[in-house]
Amino acid sequence: MTKLRAVCYINQFFAGLGGEEKAHEGLLVYEGAKGPGLGMQPMWKGEMEIPLTLACGDNFFNLEENYEAVKPEILRLVREAAPDVVIAGPAFNAGRYGVACGKFCDLITSELGIPSVTGMFPTNPAVEMYLRKTYIVATGETAGAMRTSLPKLAALALRLAQRAPLGPAAAEGYLPTGVRINEVDERSAACRVVDMLMSKLRNEPYRTEIPLRKDEKVPAAPPLPDYSKVKFGLVTMGGLVPKGNPDKLKMYASETYGTYPIDLATFDSAHYESVHGGYDTTAVNKDPQRLVPYTAALNLLERGLIGSLTPYFLSTCGIGTNVGMAKKIGGEMARQLKEDGVSAVFLSST
Amino acid sequence: MTMRLTRKYYPVRELREGDRCAYSAGTLTVSYDELLAVAKPYGKNIAKIWFEVCRPGENARIVHVLDTIQPMYKTEHPANWGGKEYPGILNYPHTAGCGVTNLLEGLAVMECAAMPWDEGSASSGLLYPRDAVIQTTGFYKHYTPFADTINLIVNFEVLPDRTSDEYDNDIRKSGMAIAQHLARLTEGQPAQREEVFDNTPVAGLPGVALVWMCQNQGVYANTLYYGLPIYDIAPTLLEPNEMLDGAVVGGNLGWPTYKIPTWTHVNGPIVLELYRRHGVDLNFAGVILARSHQPSNWHKDRCAQIIAKMAAQLNCAGLIMQWEGGGNACIDGMLTIQNGERRGIRCALLTFEFGGKDGTEGQLLVDDVPEADAVVSTGSWERPVHLDAVDVAYGGKTLRLDKEKGGYFPDAREAIDFETNVHMYMGGNQSGYSRIMAREY
Repeated sequence: MTKLRAVCYINQFFAGLGGEEKAHEGLLVYEGAKGPGLGMQPMWKGEMEIPLTLACGDNFFNLEENYEAVKPEILRLVREAAPDVVIAGPAFNAGRYGVACGKFCDLITSELGIPSVTGMFPTNPAVEMYLRKTYIVATGETAGAMRTSLPKLAALALRLAQRAPLGPAAAEGYLPTGVRINEVDERSAACRVVDMLMSKLRNEPYRTEIPLRKDEKVPAAPPLPDYSKVKFGLVTMGGLVPKGNPDKLKMYASETYGTYPIDLATFDSAHYESVHGGYDTTAVNKDPQRLVPYTAALNLLERGLIGSLTPYFLSTCGIGTNVGMAKKIGGEMARQLKEDGVSAVFLSST
Repeated sequence: MTMRLTRKYYPVRELREGDRCAYSAGTLTVSYDELLAVAKPYGKNIAKIWFEVCRPGENARIVHVLDTIQPMYKTEHPANWGGKEYPGILNYPHTAGCGVTNLLEGLAVMECAAMPWDEGSASSGLLYPRDAVIQTTGFYKHYTPFADTINLIVNFEVLPDRTSDEYDNDIRKSGMAIAQHLARLTEGQPAQREEVFDNTPVAGLPGVALVWMCQNQGVYANTLYYGLPIYDIAPTLLEPNEMLDGAVVGGNLGWPTYKIPTWTHVNGPIVLELYRRHGVDLNFAGVILARSHQPSNWHKDRCAQIIAKMAAQLNCAGLIMQWEGGGNACIDGMLTIQNGERRGIRCALLTFEFGGKDGTEGQLLVDDVPEADAVVSTGSWERPVHLDAVDVAYGGKTLRLDKEKGGYFPDAREAIDFETNVHMYMGGNQSGYSRIMAREY
């Protein structure tokens, strides 16, 4: 049986050249395993070997012009070695080494279609940069964790080389790549939630299945000093559209919004309706001004309390829309209104 | 003093047609004429009822699903005050949860109907029953228990020009009458097994309550508690046995994915799990029933604070948060968790998640609080759903989709793709029944 093949990438330090003073070293080529590869090779029990190890100084590889210059040579060498997987690092919490490992893996996987894996401490800044481009095994913070990190890296590298279908991040030991897939668990949600509560009550470790969103605050806009000089817009999340829903707005999980002119003569139940799927629309279907209070706004305008008013409204259905899509729709609405000189809106949510 | 309820189980392994309804040793014989007569008094607004049976192992799709009922019948209850099963629907709203209740195990009575779409009767917006679909094979069979039950499908055709209220009421009562009639056939017969439910506290174990926050937004989006919608309810304390006996009945027909059918109210997966562990490592302190989709922040905070107070009053160490419905309910639930944790009550939650069409949209919930650090995923409802073609369709011949775009009516047996799982009955898995979850890759 022919052995599977892994090409490794390391930096000047793990190649044994030295530390910071050798960080400018260019591409170095070693036959066979070197550094961490020496530790990993026996773990594969003859199933996989390392025919080639490449190394660069971290400063060298991080400089874009050097990287571009050395890229063709790296691709040539790796193509020639014909590996089943490439392994970079582990880089632990070293920032420049982490970026170099990510860059190397990304290059080989995207250019040659060969799977890649590296290892980093979860807060290494390079993790965020390369999470979606290569597999990253969570390691300890420093090279002191080499002994505990290598088995995880070696195991995942072997599975990638075997082209084995990879299981979920937690089971395989890699950092989540940001993709979530619906699957059937062994146990019902009811059993798992009771278990999780009991673990929490006993102060035992448990793993939440839905991580909370990253800290995100929307700061309130500064107050407008004088409404009488401000142009106002009209926006509703209540799904008001001209009858027949000309733009085919979705009644839930919105992806778009509509812009509709207002003519008081026809701004009524005969010409407008709500297509929102999340509340009883009976009342607004009798009078569209329950969602878009145009007459009331005109009254403010006539009394000079507001500067001017758009003769149209923007509308979407605020229901079952994920946060990313809501940001996109909201951003587009704001952009359109700003281009029209609007700096405040009457916004009705439902 | 706690309640003691004995559930007697009568398995249904075979359902066959006969001249009269009978139950004997695992075989249920049904006379459809007899069932029609039973339903008749409740059907003032019903034009026609007909029956179908979907059995385990069939490659089938059931469409137009409304509510699903666990047939059960109380044979004993306290003489002076005890109520019957599903109190407040057909029976007088006396307190349920004590005595003996017979269940036809493995039988589901399923109401199906193509409800009118016209404005006059079906109202608008949220308040119309979107087509709810059950697929009994493949990945999506895991959403519901009904791929493994014998489903007696009661199809309704309603009379034109009546109100939504009238249709809703008639269908519920007719379905209940049929379920009750069948379960009553077990009276006097030996049960295959029985189970006693008694949550008398055991010293030294932590108290845990279930917060059951149900949807109530009008006809077709209601939850009934002792026969009435919970629209204006303040959080209310239930004995777990009241849930088992049907004090809470589902009427949420608007969004199939968010539905909690009556079947899963009375066979509540979390209620049953908490009972399984009662006296082992926890004390099941009770069920706090509340309304989700509180209309404003004022209402939401009020509701959350009352729940937290009630859990503290019960001496609970922990609570499990469960809600029915979408983003609005998420805020109610998160505030409840925050208020609970602030009072030192540990909280765990189960919820469906977002995540986008391909699972890479990183914001999984529309709202959260830092205290919500123990969350079970019941899967993402945003992933596209592909249903393979099936051999047979029940409940209707075509699907009824895209009302807001004028309607789309494909053959109910053909393969079909949905943008999300919105049409999948119990797809949001808010009862906790399903083993489907979203895993990080």
